[in-house]
Amino acid sequence: MTSAALAQLNRPAVRRSATSALSYIIAVLAAFLVTGLIILWLGQDPVTAFRSILTTSFRTSFGFVETLHKWVPISLLALGFTIPLLSGKFNIGGEGQLLVGACAAAAVGITAQGLPAVILLPAILIAGTAAGAVWAGIAAWLLVRFGVNEILTTVLLNFASFGIVDYIASEVWSDPAAGHPTTIPIADAGLLPTFGAPPVHAGVIIALVVALVAMLIVRRGTAGYELRAVGANPRAARVHGVRIAGVAAAALVVGGALGGLAGAIEVTGVYGKLIEGLQTNYLLLGIIVGLIARGNVVALPFVAFGIAVLEVGASAMQRTADVPNEMVLITEALILIFILASTVVQPRVGRRSR
Amino acid sequence: MSNATQFLTLVVTAMVPFILASQGTMLGGRAGVFNVSQEGVMALGASVAFLVSLKSGSTLVGLVVALLAGAVFGLVLGAATTNLRLDQFVVGLALFFAATGLATLLYKVVIGVATQPPLVPTLPQWRIPGLASIPVVGPAVFDQNGLVYFALLLSAALYWLLYHTSLGMRLRAVGENPKCADSLGVSITSTRIVTSVIGSGLIALGGAYIPLVYTGTYTDGMVAGRGWLAIALTFFGAWRPQFILPGAAFFAAMEVLALRVQVQGIDIPHQFIGMLPYVATLLIIIVAARWARAPAFLGRNYDRESRTAL
Repeated sequence: MTSAALAQLNRPAVRRSATSALSYIIAVLAAFLVTGLIILWLGQDPVTAFRSILTTSFRTSFGFVETLHKWVPISLLALGFTIPLLSGKFNIGGEGQLLVGACAAAAVGITAQGLPAVILLPAILIAGTAAGAVWAGIAAWLLVRFGVNEILTTVLLNFASFGIVDYIASEVWSDPAAGHPTTIPIADAGLLPTFGAPPVHAGVIIALVVALVAMLIVRRGTAGYELRAVGANPRAARVHGVRIAGVAAAALVVGGALGGLAGAIEVTGVYGKLIEGLQTNYLLLGIIVGLIARGNVVALPFVAFGIAVLEVGASAMQRTADVPNEMVLITEALILIFILASTVVQPRVGRRSR
Repeated sequence: MSNATQFLTLVVTAMVPFILASQGTMLGGRAGVFNVSQEGVMALGASVAFLVSLKSGSTLVGLVVALLAGAVFGLVLGAATTNLRLDQFVVGLALFFAATGLATLLYKVVIGVATQPPLVPTLPQWRIPGLASIPVVGPAVFDQNGLVYFALLLSAALYWLLYHTSLGMRLRAVGENPKCADSLGVSITSTRIVTSVIGSGLIALGGAYIPLVYTGTYTDGMVAGRGWLAIALTFFGAWRPQFILPGAAFFAAMEVLALRVQVQGIDIPHQFIGMLPYVATLLIIIVAARWARAPAFLGRNYDRESRTAL
């Protein structure tokens, strides 16, 4: 079903260099052009709006730290989307995986008061990662055992996870003073260390390491090779002894684990507790980044950073130019559509079709 | 009104967004285009229907414009996956993002931040004399708003179209074996574009139903997963209009149960009861995966010059 897309995704690096970079730039410019026209039509000033969108992250150190903190969940969820995509599977469940990861992290962080940080912090991160893996594992099991479409199951598990968050935050460890479903804070020893001023939490380093490991495994490792083989040509992969159902399921579980890790980092690094709605729109952003990067795990962290810049700029734009921040979501969707369209316009040497 | 009638009325009322969105998904899918933008297009339909109804003073105009807004998204989906042969899921997801963003953006641009959200009148009940007097079922089915009748008639019409006309036969052939259909002179491209346009229009109409029947106003997240559930329902209904109808009743019953059990205060945390529709759907699609067959060419783009058999 997706091998045409994956033929595009997995084109050798050599051929996607120059023309590809140019088409990306044109796609981004075109998306901003259309956005600017819409802003003009709304009767606002596109120049002010774009200045806010593009410079807020770099004007102040607070803006930059906020961008880094947004980059962490976006890049982790984008990776959690991309790894299953390489095997031809769509993981749309990043939101649920992040949330159950956050729930597990909060549960460990609240109940295990008194443990030293060297034990508690890893325990929290592992609990979150494991919870995300289990949550995606449900979808993976349904896929392998019953052949149920993974887009559906991962999405439905998102909605199922909302109930768990609400239950934990408003019944089990509720903080009644918060006025919004929120848990009591986790133990201080469970908080991620920070550095610099304004403080940057160590989740940024974790996400960097994860991104590097993912690059190595996908590009150089046997597992990564099998993953890409299953995505590019399942029949050929099976003939050569790859257990394709197992690889796809494993890819989904790994994707879920990354989502769970993102949730744990949000709890221990950003909020120090579980708050309903802490996932904001990270699922959409993660998928957008994954689709824009088109399976290229090296480009992915950079695309994620670009999207984080746009997101931080979007809330500033709402204040300075009076343009609703959802405008940026439309810009991002346009970038995606234009990049897709550019693959058609580009000369396709040796294009394989089905 | 008896308890059974009351429950049935709620279920029939809640069925409509599922029927419209799922029949729309089915229509595009039978020609081979797998739409995954429902959740966003329904939100857009809800937003547009509310805003246009408010500004024009006519809910009918609101519904029509919502339908057209959905149709535009269907046109992009259809053209991008046939003429440009882009991946259906990727285009669908991009349209989902764009529609989600546009729904909120339009509301913010037109209404802004209001402490007291403006309201539009909800759709009137049209009682059908005679039929509405049938015990139990009558008041639940025949004393309803116009879109309920529309959804029921639409399902019957789609069944007739697909299985009792040559047009429907051609349409199904495009989704099952486009090479064969193409060789017999059926245009794959125009069949797919037309069904995507009508299908997305219906999906948006399903979204429009939510503010115009339930709340009288638009809020973010009011579609609440119905778009994704509609995809599950379409699988469960085996991509056949006649099975989607009872399937929609089941999905609606889950939604109503989740709300009513919360109200009656049964001794289970309400958060878990709120999960009921989604968990039940997960179980249901396992059953569906066993017996329901999807169109053979669903989700795949047709390339006339391809050398492979299908």
